Amino acid sequence: MTGFTSWRLPAYASLAAAGLVAGLAFGRVEPVALAAPFVLALVAAVTEHEPRVSVRLSLDRERALEGEEVTATIELSSPDSVDRFELLVPLPPEASIEGGPARALLLRAGEERTVELTLRCERWGAFSFGPVLFRARDLLGLRSWEGEAGEPQPLRVYPREETLRSLVAPLETQVFAGNQVSRVRGEGIEFADLREWQPGDRVRRVNWRATALRGSLWVNEQYPERNTDVVLFLDTFAEVRAQGRSTNDRAVRAAATLARGYLQRKDRVGLVGFGGVLSWLVPESGTRQLYAIVDTLLASDIVHSFALRDVDTLPPRTLPPKALVLAITPLLDNRTASALLDLRARGYDLIVVEVSPLELVDPSFAASVELAHRLWRLSREALRWRYEQVGVPVVTWREGVPLAGPLEEVNAFRHLARPA
Amino acid sequence: MGAVVAYVGVLGDALVRAGSAAPLLTAPAALGVLALVLALVHRGRGLGPALWLAAGTYVAFVVHVEHRVDPTAPLVAVLLLLSGELAAWSLDERWRIRADPQLAWRRGLALAALALAGLAVAALVVALSAVPSSHGLLWTVAGAAAAVGAAGTGVWVVRR
Repeated sequence: MTGFTSWRLPAYASLAAAGLVAGLAFGRVEPVALAAPFVLALVAAVTEHEPRVSVRLSLDRERALEGEEVTATIELSSPDSVDRFELLVPLPPEASIEGGPARALLLRAGEERTVELTLRCERWGAFSFGPVLFRARDLLGLRSWEGEAGEPQPLRVYPREETLRSLVAPLETQVFAGNQVSRVRGEGIEFADLREWQPGDRVRRVNWRATALRGSLWVNEQYPERNTDVVLFLDTFAEVRAQGRSTNDRAVRAAATLARGYLQRKDRVGLVGFGGVLSWLVPESGTRQLYAIVDTLLASDIVHSFALRDVDTLPPRTLPPKALVLAITPLLDNRTASALLDLRARGYDLIVVEVSPLELVDPSFAASVELAHRLWRLSREALRWRYEQVGVPVVTWREGVPLAGPLEEVNAFRHLARPA
Repeated sequence: MGAVVAYVGVLGDALVRAGSAAPLLTAPAALGVLALVLALVHRGRGLGPALWLAAGTYVAFVVHVEHRVDPTAPLVAVLLLLSGELAAWSLDERWRIRADPQLAWRRGLALAALALAGLAVAALVVALSAVPSSHGLLWTVAGAAAAVGAAGTGVWVVRR
């Protein structure tokens, strides 16, 4: 601990000394009487000594969802009495504690006290709480000792996911069993067609009614259920942030929601964080992949960079053939647009979900700024047109609208405009 | 507010009884009040000089105007201490810390105890001054030693 003295002590010491000297110099008792109470205050300060305090910080859990409350417990004990013990838990801007992060209490000798603080994280992320900053002071605050104690406690706040009734079905399936009905015929449940029996067909596939009608063996053909590969392409080049809301926050929540939805269908899901910092996860399935995706999303943040990026820098297994690429982007950076159009040119099934930044932009403009704003909106329209020209559906996800809405638009688009 | 009232009490008493010397004492007194108010506004900067100005004003009054032992000296001393302590307390309370309720009244009790003890010691000092003593040199040496001890104690506490 580091010891500090109040500004009053030097002032009191100088007043006391000066009073005594003035009494001697002027031969008057009044300056000596003036100095007496200050001498007593000095004596009171001298008698204080550095306390020995034990501080332990713990959280009731390591994982939480956005907006949930977590209880932070601080256990204090001291063999000495501390007249005023102040403690402070440093918080990141995304977190808050009910009643403030600071507390002051009396710690009696040998007493163990527990302080419980209700922590609330309004935004996803990987946070660390602690160590606890503390200050021990005497009754009058003439002397204090400051230090920090307690191990940092990690807390992962996961993005709150939205409810989706249906997902966008990829056009192509993979070879493993899953929940997606494939276009290719094979062993399955969904009826596809009838055909004449061929050597090697199983007896149980014979359609006896058709056989009876036609006088020769006819068999059923089915569509098998296969899994699909989905790659979530997150644009982290730039974001629009205002009043604690940002396009990147919504993009991460959308990515987490979609990842969980596709993984529950036994699909393989991968992740590409395309921005100032490039990150990727090769498509895998299962619960472990969900945690890996969410942990990668927690670390994703906007890092401004002028480096040129393209999809060639990604490992080949990150973007498997026939994968559905779901791009979640605010359409702010041309490098993402170039990369996505490149993917489309390579034949990937691409869907663009635009996280609209318009709601975060202040609509009250001066005339000159309004013109720039209109130009900006026109450039975004032009970019959407470029995507649509090559057959890429672009849906706009506005703030306050459930994610299910834009996904239904994609399904409607694909139903009406059958991709080649 | 309490700090200002105590401070004004220290100066007011001296100025009222200063008589013709009051205009000479008004300037340092006014400066002291200004320093105190500024210190309360700016988180304590200048509080030490404010206490010095008040003490200096009172000592000047006593030396140049009051020719007898001033029986109110202990009270003035305690008021000066209280103005410093109350100012510091008000500045401490500006930190937004949720505190146990007992901390406030414990500090109040400690301050009251210190003030009463200071009043008693100062009164004792004034009372002892009325006792004639033939050991003038001894008292002088003792007073000098006390002055050095007070200053040295302050330095030691600050550097600890």
